[in-house]
Amino acid sequence: MKALFLLQWQRLKREPLLIGSMMVMTIVFVLAMGGFRVSSAVSVPTYFDASVQNQKAWLERLNEATEGFEFFATEENRSKEDIALGKYPYALQVMEDDFRIFMLAEDENLQVLKQVVAQTYLKEKRVSTAAAQVDEPEQFRKQVKEYLSEPPIIVSKVTPGPLEGAPSYNQKLQTLYGMSLFFAMYTIIFSLSKIAEEKRTGTLNRIILSPIRKWQVYIGHMSYSYVIGFTQIVLIVLMFKYIFGYNVGEQMGAVILTIASFVFAVVAIGMLILGLIKSTDQLNAVVPIVTVSMAMLGGAFWPIEIVSNDIILAISNVVPMTYAMEALKAVSMFGQGLADIYEPLAILVLIGVLCMGVGVNLIERKA
Amino acid sequence: MLETVNLKKVFKQNVAADDVNLYLDQGESVGLLGPNGAGKSTTISMISTLLRPTSGDVKWHGKSVIKNPNEIRDVLGVVPQEIALYKELSALENLKFFGKIYGLKGKQLDKKIQEVLEIVGLTERQKDLVKTYSGGMKRRINIAVALLHEPVIIIMDEPTVGIDPQSRNYILEMVRQLKEEKGMTVLYTSHYMEEVERLCDRIYIMDHGKVIATGTKEELTSILSSEETIIVDFDRPYPNLVNKLEKNESILQVTETDNGIKLIVPKGSRQLGTIFNLAEKEEAQITSINVQVPTLEDVFLHLTGRKLRD
Ligand SMILES: Nc1ncnc2c1ncn2[C@@H]1O[C@H](COP(=O)(O)OP(=O)(O)OP(=O)(O)O)[C@@H](O)[C@H]1O
Ligand SMILES: [Mg+2]
Repeated sequence: MKALFLLQWQRLKREPLLIGSMMVMTIVFVLAMGGFRVSSAVSVPTYFDASVQNQKAWLERLNEATEGFEFFATEENRSKEDIALGKYPYALQVMEDDFRIFMLAEDENLQVLKQVVAQTYLKEKRVSTAAAQVDEPEQFRKQVKEYLSEPPIIVSKVTPGPLEGAPSYNQKLQTLYGMSLFFAMYTIIFSLSKIAEEKRTGTLNRIILSPIRKWQVYIGHMSYSYVIGFTQIVLIVLMFKYIFGYNVGEQMGAVILTIASFVFAVVAIGMLILGLIKSTDQLNAVVPIVTVSMAMLGGAFWPIEIVSNDIILAISNVVPMTYAMEALKAVSMFGQGLADIYEPLAILVLIGVLCMGVGVNLIERKA
Repeated sequence: MLETVNLKKVFKQNVAADDVNLYLDQGESVGLLGPNGAGKSTTISMISTLLRPTSGDVKWHGKSVIKNPNEIRDVLGVVPQEIALYKELSALENLKFFGKIYGLKGKQLDKKIQEVLEIVGLTERQKDLVKTYSGGMKRRINIAVALLHEPVIIIMDEPTVGIDPQSRNYILEMVRQLKEEKGMTVLYTSHYMEEVERLCDRIYIMDHGKVIATGTKEELTSILSSEETIIVDFDRPYPNLVNKLEKNESILQVTETDNGIKLIVPKGSRQLGTIFNLAEKEEAQITSINVQVPTLEDVFLHLTGRKLRD
């Protein structure tokens, strides 16, 4: 059994590409999606007609008007090129009394953008018309601005904040955990698929003829897949904690325990898949479908909290990803401890035990 | 020592092995000859306990191996039809792993590995990755792995399929030595009748899941004919010689051909000496001599109406 376990590492050393690329992909995706773009504002390249005076003030006004869009100055040709290439969804042309929006395709944000820009124009028109009536327009503008920053009526929204001292809901962590768990599922299931490969090449028969028993073969492969999946997630989390300064909370132990339970459940699901498929070709087709849909349903790509469809929510109840994300977010974002997450962890272990039982049986029956 | 009793395997509709009865005695080499899909691999898998028979039994020293497979597994070396190795590892690493799972370790393991490498002639290439090996070398290392635990019986499933004649000869010679020098019992599967003829004491011919004929090579070919034909060519006609041959009682028939004569003699009656002696006395110059014996190929053709390889 130890020989079987060690053999897999020896083989990994010779062909590290697949597992290595899973690690690299995780890092790239976390950085690209959660790391660099902190604001979720849509960037809008903006250029001005030569007739427009005080372009900087315009840009400021536009950016003050909304948080959903980020306007930045650029050249006309450049912005049109970027639109054509799909780099940005829209570009804005600012004229003296009018504006024009360029785009490749209409989308849901277009109306909002139109409204924001139109409002800004309207407001500016009012202020500038009024300012034209007074002696010192600059002074007037300043007063209007000061007055509006403390208007007589204030509408404010209050949302319950996070616990004192704990990190709050955080897109970066959502991405970090979502991506690490997602790519680790690939690593785990593809590592497990070496069992199917051994069956195909005939090495499994050789092992069966030796004094090694079949269950030892399964344990050998499962423990290898477990260790490699677990290591992959933990390494990435530690890397983002210490190198990129992500705040994953104080309870590292609870994070690691959650990862351990999740990996167990995924190994078990991998065994179940192996029991269900008939060939390695089938496996290669099934694995991406299963992993991607489980990741989507379980909230690895976006927080499950934003989903309202009952069917999807019902399905997400049997997906390990749901519980792992729930537990990880509870610990890292909302400062909860082991005592608060024992339920999702218990469910993960339960899913694991069930799937493993059925999976091993199915594999056995095929042999 | 090892026998199968009405061994049968049915895959869905397909009867892959049908009432196969065969036996192996200590130290003999037995061939299993048959075309593609005859059921050779299926039979071998059942004998080596990798496949459960639909009905029938495999007996090792009189005991069924189906209920208790471990005993026979220990003494069995199985060379599968496919290259069952970790191709991204070296030959040495493969041998180490398979040795370890048989409980070998340390110096004993190293010694055994070098020994089997010697047998298959790959000592120099042991550190190379299996995937860089030639087809013949892969076949050889595939055999080496099956020898690690010093099996008593070695079962080989088409060990020479798809390789060059040189490697093939090497393997055949190796199998012969295993049998003759190490006293191993060999069950050798092939669809090349030359190999089985050359290596095996006894032969089973299989087709469509059934054993259709069995015996030594001579017994099998005698199914076809009890005579053999000798064709002798001379530099010119020698009527005297023909006369004398006709008078010889153990020669059944003499006919003159364009370049010489054609004799029909009882099978195995060893008439060549007589022919040479007479030719010597007549000072006849023999330009060629050809003994035509029916081959297993002919036997197969005779039994099934088909060629062995088509
Ligand atoms: N696992 C299986 N499932 C279904 N049918 C099978 C299976 N294994 C073998 N067969 C069928 O059983 C028959 C005998 O196959 P087998 O592999 O024993 O032939 P073989 O004599 O070894 O042929 P070859 O010389 O090509 O190796 C074939 O018709 C094959 O299609
Ligand atoms: Mg075969």
